[in-house]
Amino acid sequence: MERARQLEKYLCKMSVLQTWLVQALFIFLITGSIGVLLDPCGRINPESPVVQLGSNFTAVCVLKERCMDYFHVNANFIVWKMGHFTIPKEQYTIINRTAASVTLTDVTSLNIQLTCNILTFGQIEQNVYGITLISGLPPEKPKNLNCIVNEGKKMMCYWDPGRETYLETNFTLKSEWATEKFADCKTKRDTPTSCTVDYSPVYFVNMEVWVEAANALGKVTSDHINFDPVDKVKPNTPRNLSVSNSEELSSILKLTWINSNIKNVIRLKYDIQYRTKGASTWSQIPPEDTASTRSSFTVQDLKPFTEYVFRIRCMKEDGKGFWSDWSEEASGITYEDRPSNTPSFWYKIDPSHSHGHRSVQLMWKTLPPFEANGKILGYEVTLTRWKSRLQNYTVNDTKLTVNLTNDRYIVTLTARNAVGRSDASVLTIPACDFQATHPVMDLKAFPKDNMLWVEWTTPSKSPNKYILEWCVLSDKSPCIPDWQQEDGTVHHTYIRGYLAESKCYLITVTPVYADGPGSPVSIKAYLKQAPPSKGPTVRTKKVGKNEAVLEWDQLPVDVQNGFIRNYTIFYRTNIGNETAVNVDSSHTEYTLSSLTSDTLYMVRMAAYTDEGGKDGPEFTFTTPKFAQGEIEAIVVPVCLAFLLTTLLGVLFCFNKRDLIKKHIWPNVPDPSKSHIAQWSPHTPPRHNFNPKDQMYSDGNFTDVSVVEIEANDKKSFPEDLKSLELFKKEKVSTEGHSSGIGGSSCMSSSRPSISSSDENESAQNTSSTVQYSTVVHSGYRHQVPSVQVFSRSESTQPLLDSEERPEDLQLVDNVDGGDGILPRQQYFKQNCSQQETSPDISHFERSNQVSSVNEEDFVRLKQQISGIPQSCGSGQMKMFQEVSAADAFGPDTEGQGERFKTAGMEAVLDEGMPKSYLPQTVRQGGYMPQ
Amino acid sequence: MKVLAAGVVPLLLVLHWKHGAGSPLPITPGNGTCATRHPCHSNLMNQIRNQLAQLNGSANALFILYYTAQGEPFPNNLDKLCGPNVTDFPPFHANGTEKAKLVELYRVIAYLGASLGNITRDQKLLNPSALSLHSKLNATADVLRGLLSNVLCRLCSKYHVAHVDVAYGPDTSGKDVFQKKKLGCQLLGKYKQVIAVVAQAF
Repeated sequence: MERARQLEKYLCKMSVLQTWLVQALFIFLITGSIGVLLDPCGRINPESPVVQLGSNFTAVCVLKERCMDYFHVNANFIVWKMGHFTIPKEQYTIINRTAASVTLTDVTSLNIQLTCNILTFGQIEQNVYGITLISGLPPEKPKNLNCIVNEGKKMMCYWDPGRETYLETNFTLKSEWATEKFADCKTKRDTPTSCTVDYSPVYFVNMEVWVEAANALGKVTSDHINFDPVDKVKPNTPRNLSVSNSEELSSILKLTWINSNIKNVIRLKYDIQYRTKGASTWSQIPPEDTASTRSSFTVQDLKPFTEYVFRIRCMKEDGKGFWSDWSEEASGITYEDRPSNTPSFWYKIDPSHSHGHRSVQLMWKTLPPFEANGKILGYEVTLTRWKSRLQNYTVNDTKLTVNLTNDRYIVTLTARNAVGRSDASVLTIPACDFQATHPVMDLKAFPKDNMLWVEWTTPSKSPNKYILEWCVLSDKSPCIPDWQQEDGTVHHTYIRGYLAESKCYLITVTPVYADGPGSPVSIKAYLKQAPPSKGPTVRTKKVGKNEAVLEWDQLPVDVQNGFIRNYTIFYRTNIGNETAVNVDSSHTEYTLSSLTSDTLYMVRMAAYTDEGGKDGPEFTFTTPKFAQGEIEAIVVPVCLAFLLTTLLGVLFCFNKRDLIKKHIWPNVPDPSKSHIAQWSPHTPPRHNFNPKDQMYSDGNFTDVSVVEIEANDKKSFPEDLKSLELFKKEKVSTEGHSSGIGGSSCMSSSRPSISSSDENESAQNTSSTVQYSTVVHSGYRHQVPSVQVFSRSESTQPLLDSEERPEDLQLVDNVDGGDGILPRQQYFKQNCSQQETSPDISHFERSNQVSSVNEEDFVRLKQQISGIPQSCGSGQMKMFQEVSAADAFGPDTEGQGERFKTAGMEAVLDEGMPKSYLPQTVRQGGYMPQ
Repeated sequence: MKVLAAGVVPLLLVLHWKHGAGSPLPITPGNGTCATRHPCHSNLMNQIRNQLAQLNGSANALFILYYTAQGEPFPNNLDKLCGPNVTDFPPFHANGTEKAKLVELYRVIAYLGASLGNITRDQKLLNPSALSLHSKLNATADVLRGLLSNVLCRLCSKYHVAHVDVAYGPDTSGKDVFQKKKLGCQLLGKYKQVIAVVAQAF
């Protein structure tokens, strides 16, 4: 069993040994192989160069003979490369057949890969060896070396290392006594600028300390400093600082603390600071009072009943070394003292007082802690009417409401604490009939340093004090005033209550005199203005053709956020540019002028405070097309003119109704009612007709209406036209001797006119008289007849007597009804038209029958020369011209026209001459040819 | 043999001082060999006085701390166990010249330094938990070392004394625990007594 165990152990050992041998053999083979494989063809010297930035560097590449033979190369085939960049041949130096150097000038890169290569077979570049060139700077001399000995800890020294070296630089702190040297203190990699020595500092033995900085490019040593470590001590902080007060003195506090152990070695001085609780700045105990080692100090001249906070630190008495850290703060409260000031005191009278009495609310402010000097236990109020003592009140609150008579009262107020009472604050409540006077003057309020300052000029009568009251002006809430009291010598102060920004404050300053309050003066102010919350809403008050009156309401004080300095009105059309108009803040309406009529305008308004403005909603309006009254100004005159014209026309027509009647609806004799018996008995027999007598007998004929009464035969009318044509032809060929029916009818109409004018004794007779005649022209055209010949018509057809009975005419028309009667109706109308306007002549151009009627009418008009104005004559002349042209009489038409014109003029000029047809035609040198 | 033992063992202890162990020994007599690593400070005497005051101020506390740490019977038998009965303690004459006082002080400091080294070594073994005592012993030893440097610097720079023969106390390594404690307590008692005299002398 034992042998088996030994065998087992032996086998185990053999196995382990075998494993080791295999491993060793493997390592040996691997190492040998790598050695052969990594055997380079050459080497570069130096192999690990470190060069200074900006300096030159030379490297030498030495080739091995084996490679040179193998590759058939020498030093001339060496190519130097810096990274992938081939160094120019100019920087090479062939030292011998196996070695070539390269020189790098002004090395600026911190890390350069430099390789030596050979060109095998003339072209193939093969790397031989490579090195890394590291560059940097030598260390600078460390500066500002100093050491600190934190009490109870080991000494630490620190320095400025100087410039960056870009190389691994070691800093070593060296220290020694005069008699021995201490171990070096090597910096750690993360703190190369300080080092803490391993040994405890020994005070009162000078030691010398310096720093040695070293890297691959050099070593440099700082200046040596020699010091006693006790002069570099930073003592531990005094601990257990405590504060206690004194009942005897309300202005002192005693500080106690425990010094650090360093006080056994060195003397200390202290720095004690204090402040009232809540204050931010510290006050300092005079250094000369704490310049020696101590463990307590009494601070004096403190305010009563005030909490103070203290802190302390220490250092070596001679000022060498370092201040300790500040101790933890400790606080204490000084003991109470009697109130040092009187409370601010004011009153308010209830306006709804009953008869003979008034309710007065006395109010006062709590004393600030620095004046209360303790906890105020209560207030004592004394009311005195005149000089008789009335009543005492003890109040814990800060207000008291009393009912007073209308007399004058003097009220005193004192505050009481555990130590004593304050001085009395006296206030006079004047009688009801008291008249306040002497207000402050030049009251101003302005923000400054985020406070609202109030400034005024002292009234002529010096007040005891001033009362400042203020409240927020708002449309939503009432003015609830706060107040403060100022001494009578003050003429400017700031509002000490909480003030909000963008709120309008009404500040009232009331001087208070011995006999009562003076007149209050108020002013509005903002702590900080802001743009209005809302802009003004503008609307139109009146819109005109070229102007619009805008109006708006003043902004509510709650949205003003500041003093409204001005308004700006912006208005524009749909397509036009916006126009801005500045308006003073005192206005509430403005008139926009020079507007365009019938245009849509958009207007909005902005209100501006000192801090900016706010636009109001946009309002649109349209200017009217016409100004107010413009339509009336046009329509009324036109209507009036129309009415006047109409009236005149009516009057004219009324006046000339007979004439109008003659022309428009003349009396047409009704042939059916003609009476042969009435035919003028003086008329000579037809066959004994004397043209000469007829002419003169017609001299008084004023008007004639001629109607050709024919048989109700439709065929007769064309015959008349035929006869008219024949008549015309005859005129052209036979110098116009008329003998046809149409011609006779035409001429017969003129004939009675002439003859009737001679017979003016009886119109009745005249109208019933029809005398047909034929005018025999003595010449035609240029031929002037020697003698005018009139021949009596052979027609004996009686005239209609419709003038007196128009209804009869109507009846006739109705009876005739047919086409045959139409030309006659047209005749009357045309006759009327010719007198009114000449262009209607076109009707005449339609038929020669009409032309013949015109000719007849012309004759009739010439008989009326005396009654027709000149213009009418010229109308006639024109008529003739056109008729002539329409008839197309030939080349002589123009000449005839001239003659007609002359005749027409003569006819007008002969106004007033005896109405005689014959003389006219005679003077004209002949009757106008038809 | 006793002298040799008394001299070699403290020497070995001194060599175990942390910094500058055995520094007084290289000082050799002669005129030109009194070389320091850098010039001595001009305020040496003031520093020596401060060091003596520092030692004097802490000596009693160290003594109390020591016998307290040793436990009974030491606190209640101080006179018997901790009396300053150190026979070979170097003499100090407060009325001598400054040079003489400095030389005697050098010897006293050298003696105390070696003894304190022994005590510190023993206490770390006997009272390993008495850290405050260890710290106090180390601090006192450091001050003694600094004082020695200053005295040497002063002797060397002003009086050109490069060598002072010194004597060391008995080696306690071979003694029993009680004897170690007792010798230590006696030395610290002596130290408290002497240092007060020396501090007054300067």
